Amino acid sequence: MKFSYQWISSLVDGLGNVVEPRELMRLITMKTAECEGLEEAGALLANATPAEVLVVEPIEGSHNRKAVVRTIAYGEKTVVCGAANCRVGLWTMYAPIGIKKISGVESDGMLASGRELGINRDHEGILELSKPELGLQPDWVIEVDNKSLTHRPDLWGHYGMAREVSAITGKPLRDPVDMALLPAASAEPVKRVAIGDFTLCPRYSGLVFENVTVQPSPLWLQYRLEAAGLNPINNIVDVTNYVLAELAQPMHAFDADKLRGDTIFVRNAGNGEKIVALNKEEYELDDTNLVIADAGGAIAIAGVIGGDESAIGDGTTRIVLESACFNATSVRKTAAKIKNRTDASMRFEKSQDPENTVRGLARAVALLQEVSPGIRLVGGLIDSYQPLPKVAPIVLSTEWVQRKLGHPVAAAEIKRILEALQFGVSNGEQPGEFIVEVPSWRATKDISLREDLVEEIGRMIGYGEMTPTAPLVPSVVPPANPTREFHHHLRDLVAAQGYTEAYNYSFLSDETIAEFGLAAQQPIRVLNPIASDQAYLRTSLVPRIVNNIRENRKHFETFRLFEIGHEIHRNTEGLPTETPHLAAAFFAKDGDGSAGLFELKRLASCIVPGIEVRPCDALPYEHPARAAELFADGTRVGRLFELHPSMVEAGRAAILDLDLAAAETLSHGRKIQYKPLRRFPTSAFDLSVVTGERTLVGEIEAGLRAYATANVTAIEFQRQYSGPPLAAGQKSVSYRITVGAADRTLSSAEVSAVRDAIIEGMRSRGYELRV
Amino acid sequence: MEAEQLLSGLRQSALDRIAAAASLDDLEPLRVEVLGRNGALAGVSKDFKKLTPEDRARIGKLLNEVKQAVESAFEARKAGFETAALNARLDAEWLDLTLPASGVRPGALHPVTRIQREIEELFVSLGFTVLDGPEVETEVNNFDALNIPPTHPARDMQDTFWLEGGNLLRTHTSPVQVRGMRKLGPPLRMIAPGRVFRNEEVDASHEHTFYQLEGMMIDRDVSVTNLIYFMKTLLSSIFKREVTVRLRPGYFPFVEPGFELDIQCLICGGPGCPVCKHSGWVELLPCGLVHPNVLQMSGIDPKEWNGFAFGLGLTRLAMMRYQIDDIRQLQGGDLRFLNQFTA
Ligand SMILES: [Zn+2]
Repeated sequence: MKFSYQWISSLVDGLGNVVEPRELMRLITMKTAECEGLEEAGALLANATPAEVLVVEPIEGSHNRKAVVRTIAYGEKTVVCGAANCRVGLWTMYAPIGIKKISGVESDGMLASGRELGINRDHEGILELSKPELGLQPDWVIEVDNKSLTHRPDLWGHYGMAREVSAITGKPLRDPVDMALLPAASAEPVKRVAIGDFTLCPRYSGLVFENVTVQPSPLWLQYRLEAAGLNPINNIVDVTNYVLAELAQPMHAFDADKLRGDTIFVRNAGNGEKIVALNKEEYELDDTNLVIADAGGAIAIAGVIGGDESAIGDGTTRIVLESACFNATSVRKTAAKIKNRTDASMRFEKSQDPENTVRGLARAVALLQEVSPGIRLVGGLIDSYQPLPKVAPIVLSTEWVQRKLGHPVAAAEIKRILEALQFGVSNGEQPGEFIVEVPSWRATKDISLREDLVEEIGRMIGYGEMTPTAPLVPSVVPPANPTREFHHHLRDLVAAQGYTEAYNYSFLSDETIAEFGLAAQQPIRVLNPIASDQAYLRTSLVPRIVNNIRENRKHFETFRLFEIGHEIHRNTEGLPTETPHLAAAFFAKDGDGSAGLFELKRLASCIVPGIEVRPCDALPYEHPARAAELFADGTRVGRLFELHPSMVEAGRAAILDLDLAAAETLSHGRKIQYKPLRRFPTSAFDLSVVTGERTLVGEIEAGLRAYATANVTAIEFQRQYSGPPLAAGQKSVSYRITVGAADRTLSSAEVSAVRDAIIEGMRSRGYELRV
Repeated sequence: MEAEQLLSGLRQSALDRIAAAASLDDLEPLRVEVLGRNGALAGVSKDFKKLTPEDRARIGKLLNEVKQAVESAFEARKAGFETAALNARLDAEWLDLTLPASGVRPGALHPVTRIQREIEELFVSLGFTVLDGPEVETEVNNFDALNIPPTHPARDMQDTFWLEGGNLLRTHTSPVQVRGMRKLGPPLRMIAPGRVFRNEEVDASHEHTFYQLEGMMIDRDVSVTNLIYFMKTLLSSIFKREVTVRLRPGYFPFVEPGFELDIQCLICGGPGCPVCKHSGWVELLPCGLVHPNVLQMSGIDPKEWNGFAFGLGLTRLAMMRYQIDDIRQLQGGDLRFLNQFTA
């Protein structure tokens, strides 16, 4: 929203001399709403002066002409001018911008167009003055962030902002509205209004005028609109826009002679009902959209845009001026549906004040009388109104305000601030207590609670005036979050092992789901993705990790990375299950791939002690002979695999995917139990098991453990070997087995018994033993 | 006299030979020869009984002197050899410790992780608990319970990823406030860092996935000046220096009053520069006193309790801290970027 400094100054007596534009911007930012920028408007006006064209001569070989002008401030000047309307006797504006050679002729300054002067958007020709005087000065435009005005319907007009400025500066607010200009209450309106649903249109007011002259607005009015970012069109439309920019009251003017019947209907559109709007677009509506209609059909989309058929044209002589209040949500939805957010709809979306409609009309009467001399009101005020439920007065105690702010504020100061903002303030039953009436323009949704008033008081005092204070609360040890601590611990651990943390998106594309065969997991679909790679939520971290591998492979020969993030799995009802996972990857351009897999196996056992690897059927993206599930205490905690060679070029990638929910449960369940140190010596012997090359070492070890008696204290893998003298396809796996007892030294016979039991047991399983 | 000459000759020749020894290996036979049980000095003492008692005492004394002299010469020479041998070994073991370390170099933690943990630790030290919430949220928790009803324009301000089944990807970490209030009740001091989503086009300064840290304190009497105090403490700790903050009105449906908190530009210190768009201030976090409707909806009586809440953009802070100029790098997984954040 753009605010003209001059416009605000015109509504706050004595502001212009005291508060500079930049300071005003700062005050508004600190006390009301965020200002985003300050721009000078009409800069050329500072030195420009009216000038009469005395002579116009052609310049050979140029479309430009040479003009001699008589200026009011600088005497006679010769300028080069390209405008077609530059003619002898014309009063226009001259700007001294220095001497420049144009088309071979020295031009001392320029004759300016409306656009160059910042008055309007006209660049067809130079400005034409009706008298040798303009009376406009450079202005400043303060741009306020629209988001910070979301809750303030009143601040969508200059008067609302002027009220704030008046409260901030203590300078008196000047109301531009003269209600006495409205027709007498006794006058009969010449049009009737039929509102179908007052919740959608709480109020519809209007006036009818005749003897209208449609012509350009005076330059001062065009200049104001231009500063507010509105495009001057003609005097009638400009007046509606002026009221919109001043009082935040959107208005619409219909050509009264183009309306059929004498009743204006405010009703829901029919399904499929069509209307061609002012912008020449045809919109198809449905019954959720509100329209203004006459006996012949829709003449406007309520609160959004007028219809083309009844628009003001050069020949218009009678108008119906609409000043209504429409339901915020209804207007917002309609504007969104037809994809046309207009200056009017943006204001209605904020819940406008129904009390404001007639004020807008009164203001329009004054302006129309100025811009369309001879204009006459016809009949009385059209006004159909069902007031909204009133906001109950708010009881406010000074003591409570002080507690909320944590700042001493006097009762008199509270009263002063609220009254400056035009709240009604009367004394309550208790000392320091007030009964506060909320003004209509703040009551539509903004203010209903005493907390809302604390904001009014706090911001007007200024938060910078308040001393930061430590709260007086008991000191407590906060409840722990073991899951988060576990994840933080893992991050440190995994990073210390050489892995770098990546963050990846939570989304998957259709292509990725197909490539990784994830369709069976039925990933949850995103209904409104803006890019195709956001179609589904991830049920696995692996696809994005694979993508990381593919990208980083271009820059590194070997690398390690990991991510901790959520897998999101569908539930039949309620929220999905989010499972934290750790995915870690090791990529090496060279090597047979085993180093990465065993490094990740080691990493897994750092995270989940006692982890067990069980080879399993590979998933589509896994190397079919290098895939395993990970277990600990009988619980599945993840997978370890090499990425299928077809998934990555020129290198091998090992991936560990751990379910951290399971891992965490295991880590919490793990109890460390101290055993006394052995006082008696142990003894050890070696055993070698000869078996087929693809027999799993894990299985052999499980066998050894099965036959180990209580006196076996350790079974340690030594090495595996294949080659001569072993037969082809055979391997030998060696173990060192340690035995001992807690209460004595075992005799050699006892040791032998242990050994023999293991050997016999293993042989019974079909293994060959070398001893 | 004969014995005396013999001893003095023995002594001289032993000392000469010890001095002349070239190595420890030369020394040991010499020790045996002179000092050993069957050595030369032992031979002299065997002849003792032939001496008169006077001579015996004199020669005995002399014998001891000679023995001690030879022994100490021997020990000194031996120690000399050992020291030299040790020094030679030590010198031979010269090692270039500037060679690269073996094993894997440590990896890096993500810049957002680093910032997040710093802030978590700070708040835990101030008595706040750290809470987690899901990335997929209900419409109620993300909007309604935060005083954002379906008709509220604030829902337009947040471009939401909607999911089949009616849930959504949380647009802020604020739903964790709701979860925290319901789970723990008042009094409450909590923060909730996490991943949030907005359905936005991605460019150098906009992301659809980013990180926030939500904070909330609920107690009997929590005031605006308490909020300012906490925010100043927080920011001074984050930026590791005293910061100047200003609070100005800001509109967020779940707080009343609501604020935008700005910090004085750390680059120019106030006069204005491109970083602060020449205003001297950088908008950093929204905050406010918790709206009574929000307390009510989470089962907390707003007449008994009140509090403050704030939302910190972790992504933004990480970008400020490390002067990261392209937000997309944070989710890009590029190790050339990520490896710069090694501890
Ligand atoms: Zn700066």
